[in-house]
Amino acid sequence: RAMELPPSHFPAARAAAVALGYLRYLRGGPGRGLELRELRRARRQDISDVGHKYCLELELEDVLDKDRTVSCTAEVLYHLGSKASAPDVQVTVQGELRSTEEADKEFYNWIRSLEKELVAENIPDSQGNVPPELEPIHLLAWVASGYVIWQNSSENTKLHLAQVKHVKQVKRSDEDLQFDYVVLLHDMVSQEVLPWQVTLLWHPQRGARVSQCHAPGAGN
Amino acid sequence: QLDFWLAPRGLGLPVDIRVPFPSLQAVKAHLEADGVSYSIMIEDVQALLDEEQMEMRRSSRRLPLNTNTFNYEAYHTIDEIYNFMDMLVAENPNLVSKLEIGRSTENRPLYVLKFSTGGTNRPAVWIDTGIHSREWVTQASGVWFAKKIVQDHANNEGVASILETMDIFLEIVTNPDGFAFTQTKNRLWRKTRSKHSGSICVGVDPNRNWDAGFGEAGASGNACSDTYHGPYPNSEPEVKSIVDFVKSHGNIKAFISIHSYSQLLLYPYGYTETPVPDQQELHEISAKAVAALSSLHGTKFKYGSIITTIYRASGGTIDWTYNQGIKYSFTFELRDTGRYGFLLPAKQIIPTAEETWLALKVIMEHAQNNSY
Repeated sequence: RAMELPPSHFPAARAAAVALGYLRYLRGGPGRGLELRELRRARRQDISDVGHKYCLELELEDVLDKDRTVSCTAEVLYHLGSKASAPDVQVTVQGELRSTEEADKEFYNWIRSLEKELVAENIPDSQGNVPPELEPIHLLAWVASGYVIWQNSSENTKLHLAQVKHVKQVKRSDEDLQFDYVVLLHDMVSQEVLPWQVTLLWHPQRGARVSQCHAPGAGN
Repeated sequence: QLDFWLAPRGLGLPVDIRVPFPSLQAVKAHLEADGVSYSIMIEDVQALLDEEQMEMRRSSRRLPLNTNTFNYEAYHTIDEIYNFMDMLVAENPNLVSKLEIGRSTENRPLYVLKFSTGGTNRPAVWIDTGIHSREWVTQASGVWFAKKIVQDHANNEGVASILETMDIFLEIVTNPDGFAFTQTKNRLWRKTRSKHSGSICVGVDPNRNWDAGFGEAGASGNACSDTYHGPYPNSEPEVKSIVDFVKSHGNIKAFISIHSYSQLLLYPYGYTETPVPDQQELHEISAKAVAALSSLHGTKFKYGSIITTIYRASGGTIDWTYNQGIKYSFTFELRDTGRYGFLLPAKQIIPTAEETWLALKVIMEHAQNNSY
């Protein structure tokens, strides 16, 4: 029932992008940016009345720890029908990801110590530069956009974060950090670049969650 | 501590003095007490110096002295690239010439560099970069390729042997209007800047505007879409000028159109699932080209036909060139795979150009050794 897919063909690559988005949301942070090193294997199963399930074997790397890779298996189930519904994704990471406890604490304390709320735009800039002190903000944008990519993908899209247009920190009375992002997502299939507003909450122990997410064109 | 810029020469002749700030009041008092009239020529010399420094830095960026001092590790403006082309031609008049093949919608010249060691209408290789304006690593790589061709020829290595029997045509800024727009208004602009009646939206996707499966699935009929195919094939002067050039030249043997990003080497078709008759040969060349590319910095590329590897796309460049009989028609998607995407850091320009060049040489050598 499961069909082997050539990893060089696009259906497998699109499913891998969804798995990566999901994984970034789940496991990414200011000190960890997960990137796809290689798609090793892909199979597809058509489940009648349900949808298409892709089973993937991926090799991942942490951009801050490029000397090693980590294997991962993922299942991406795209639901049938045109009703917008996020794919179901399950991932299993084999082995340990490098600990980011130190970096997370440092980042958390730095942001909490700022007198004025952090504001930045165009990350990276036109020439691809990211100021080193803003790299954690950039990586948190991967987390935020990972959520959006996971929630808004179909077999006919392949979404990537093109640029962080704008980010504003919002001070909170609780212990979470809050960042309101405007991220530009590029869809390889339609070639459109569309802005999404995403509010990301993050805490060193509790991790990240998206509290709000607006589609392009949606007002405040 | 007075600095005389025009020393005293005689009665009735003016004297110019630069006065350091701490001495200002004393000098004024002295001149006034003696009834010597004065006027202030420059209020703040330091400010002028600072401005001049800035201008020098900017103009040394704008006008390098020659193609050896040109900065290949940076992204450049259209003017800087056009200036580079003129310098390259001036430095190598026996090898390089500049052709104007047309004008863009906004009337910018469309320039192609011709590299030739002689002959008449020799079989040729065509390379274009920057057809999609936001893909900045491609125009930057095109500049590097131009210099590389000249260097290889001077050192009698690399593509010098190709140039013995073939010409190379290189269009670096294939979509100048779009490129200007990415520098001034929207870094992520892809299309041309044409206006077609009936829509407020601007621009046509120049890689959907060719006469191969034009308007079929794989392009959009919506003028606001980033894959808008345009009102009819070759509606875009950027496309038509290449079509006219290819047809009138009549002897192009390899056609390579360069894009970013995704790290792919693609051959036709995009508009149909029917494989091209030369599928096997193109697939084998691709395997070899990708291996050569990867040998330099380990960059991994996938390869295959457009429609199986990336998506269905109609009205595409290399589908048209292949159907014209140009067997060795390829499209590259350069670095990276999404980490920076279109916003590739400038320090990756040279490694990207270097590795891509190895793949291009495989294709050019194959074309030279397999004439048809």
